[in-house]
Amino acid sequence: MLSRLVRLPSFWVAAVILLLVLLLGVFGDVLAPSNPLKGSSEVLAAPSLAHPLGTDYLGRDVLSRILAGSPVSVLGAIEVAGIALVVGSIPGLLSVYLGRAFEWLTLRIIDTLIALPFLVFAVAMTALLGNGINQAMLSVGILLAPVFYRVARAAALQVSSSPYVEAATLSGASASWVLRRHILPKVLAPLGISAAGAAGTGLVIVASLTFLGIGVQPPAPTWGGILASDLGYLDYQPYAPVFPIVLIVLTVLALNLLADVLRDASGQSGRVMLKKRALRRAAKKRRRSSAPIPQRAGELT
Amino acid sequence: MSIEAELASPGGRTRAAPAEASVALLRARRLAMTVLRPVAVFVPVFLFATFITFLLGAITGLSPAYVQLGDAATPQAVARLNHQWGLDEPFLVRYWNWFHALLQADLGKSWINGVPVSELIAQRMTVSLSAAGVALLIGIVFGALLGLLAAVTATSLLDRVITAFVSFISVLPPFVVGIALVAVLAVGLHLLPSAGYIPISAGVGPWLSHIIMPAIALSLDTVAAIARQLRTGLVGAYQENYVVGARVRGLGPRRIFFVHVLRNGAGPSLALLGLHFPNLLGGAVVTETIFALSGYGVFAAQSALHGDVPAVQGILVVSIVLVVGFNLVVNVLLNRIAPAAARGI
Repeated sequence: MLSRLVRLPSFWVAAVILLLVLLLGVFGDVLAPSNPLKGSSEVLAAPSLAHPLGTDYLGRDVLSRILAGSPVSVLGAIEVAGIALVVGSIPGLLSVYLGRAFEWLTLRIIDTLIALPFLVFAVAMTALLGNGINQAMLSVGILLAPVFYRVARAAALQVSSSPYVEAATLSGASASWVLRRHILPKVLAPLGISAAGAAGTGLVIVASLTFLGIGVQPPAPTWGGILASDLGYLDYQPYAPVFPIVLIVLTVLALNLLADVLRDASGQSGRVMLKKRALRRAAKKRRRSSAPIPQRAGELT
Repeated sequence: MSIEAELASPGGRTRAAPAEASVALLRARRLAMTVLRPVAVFVPVFLFATFITFLLGAITGLSPAYVQLGDAATPQAVARLNHQWGLDEPFLVRYWNWFHALLQADLGKSWINGVPVSELIAQRMTVSLSAAGVALLIGIVFGALLGLLAAVTATSLLDRVITAFVSFISVLPPFVVGIALVAVLAVGLHLLPSAGYIPISAGVGPWLSHIIMPAIALSLDTVAAIARQLRTGLVGAYQENYVVGARVRGLGPRRIFFVHVLRNGAGPSLALLGLHFPNLLGGAVVTETIFALSGYGVFAAQSALHGDVPAVQGILVVSIVLVVGFNLVVNVLLNRIAPAAARGI
């Protein structure tokens, strides 16, 4: 799988962007050149050497605020995807095995979660449960779980009716053995694809919540919170929202790209695609090397 | 739609009926299936969703005493207020009372000022529904146009440009689009007012100028989803054997497109519209904040921050009803344009 991935150029684009964003997420606090909470008299200053991205309405350095806000925004997205993965995929796998009552119940709960207006529920749950970042992660994670439930369930349904699983069951394999040995490897790729997508959605939702001032206390910097404070001063700094927006959109694009690449590279179709690509490249190389002799090139194509 | 209305206006090009009665019976049966089957799906969804809503309010541990008295609350005052609001009763009794009132459109009273929640929501709903309605319209019109254009010119340069554009706008969250629109159209070019709301009774022009930017910000997600799905659906339908058959029989391209391709290719997009409707309602929380609209989204956020549990529950219930109602309509429409789809949904 990985050996196939590294041959795709778009994988490298996504990987490099995501690695940079992850670095921001882990070391953002340390990298900030000045105190993100300390104001100064230079209010709404334009970008300069001292403040590469300018200052905000309290004279705080925007670059430092963006860097210091990265951990909550980036690690939050990862945490959300992780919670959704666990909360969604485990019942999804078990729904195939634990009998009709469990299946019916979980299906109805998932139907319900899909029908809920996402952001309103995320806002309501977070604020009512105590308005902290952990409450925000938990509620967004639960609301994102249906994606994983469906993916895991679909993959498990497909595999569990295949002949080799039937053979294993007939030879006396237990449900847990079948799950671990046959179903888990098949489910991992689609779950990875969904996880990349869910991390993108999670990033946007966490940014939306922090934009609304929900899940964090005001002076603490977040990407969404920076956008919210920029919004009030658009007349003075119409370019200010560009910095956090570029970060958010670039990260989401990279995550979507990663999901697409994973989809392309996984499974039979991915193998076929890569083989075709290699053949085409080989043909091109041969054509180029034989370019001086036109009649042979004509033969080849 | 009632059965009588259905029978009075027999839909479009049906084959000449050999026996009127049996056709009428079949149609009545199909209509019953159209209505009853979704009800069987949506009633549990409604029950579960409202139960989750109530559970959410119950496990927060918030009470009107906390909201009204704050730190100054004495245990006696708290107990008195809890008794006054019926909060000292067992969970299931409270749930039953709440649900019973809910079915009679009584959403309780706000803990903050004692005003009925349904009144508070009704005041704000027109703003949110105007934005969501215009967004839905933009989503359908532009999504369908882009999808059609891409499908008709499939694999051409135009198709690729549209596909790339659609993939790009699909990752733009509403608040990013909203802020960009304000920065460019309102602050930069002074074309549109940046905030506020004017009711439609004061004129369609001013109303639209206030509502169009939030609507665009909300709609991009729907535009992208519809365009993508419609392109896939139409390209798929063009490859079907019945299209080849129609071509072989010499039917014109226009007839093939409208009767054979569009009808079969558009079903999945319509189903997707039902799935994306919750996003239109949910995105309102953010867009209303950006554009300073006093709609139900802002109300939801503020009530939740203040711990006004009945108001939040009321909003959640209203949004659940809207989503379930919209999906029922989508289901009926879907059944009319592609009866075979009824089995899947």
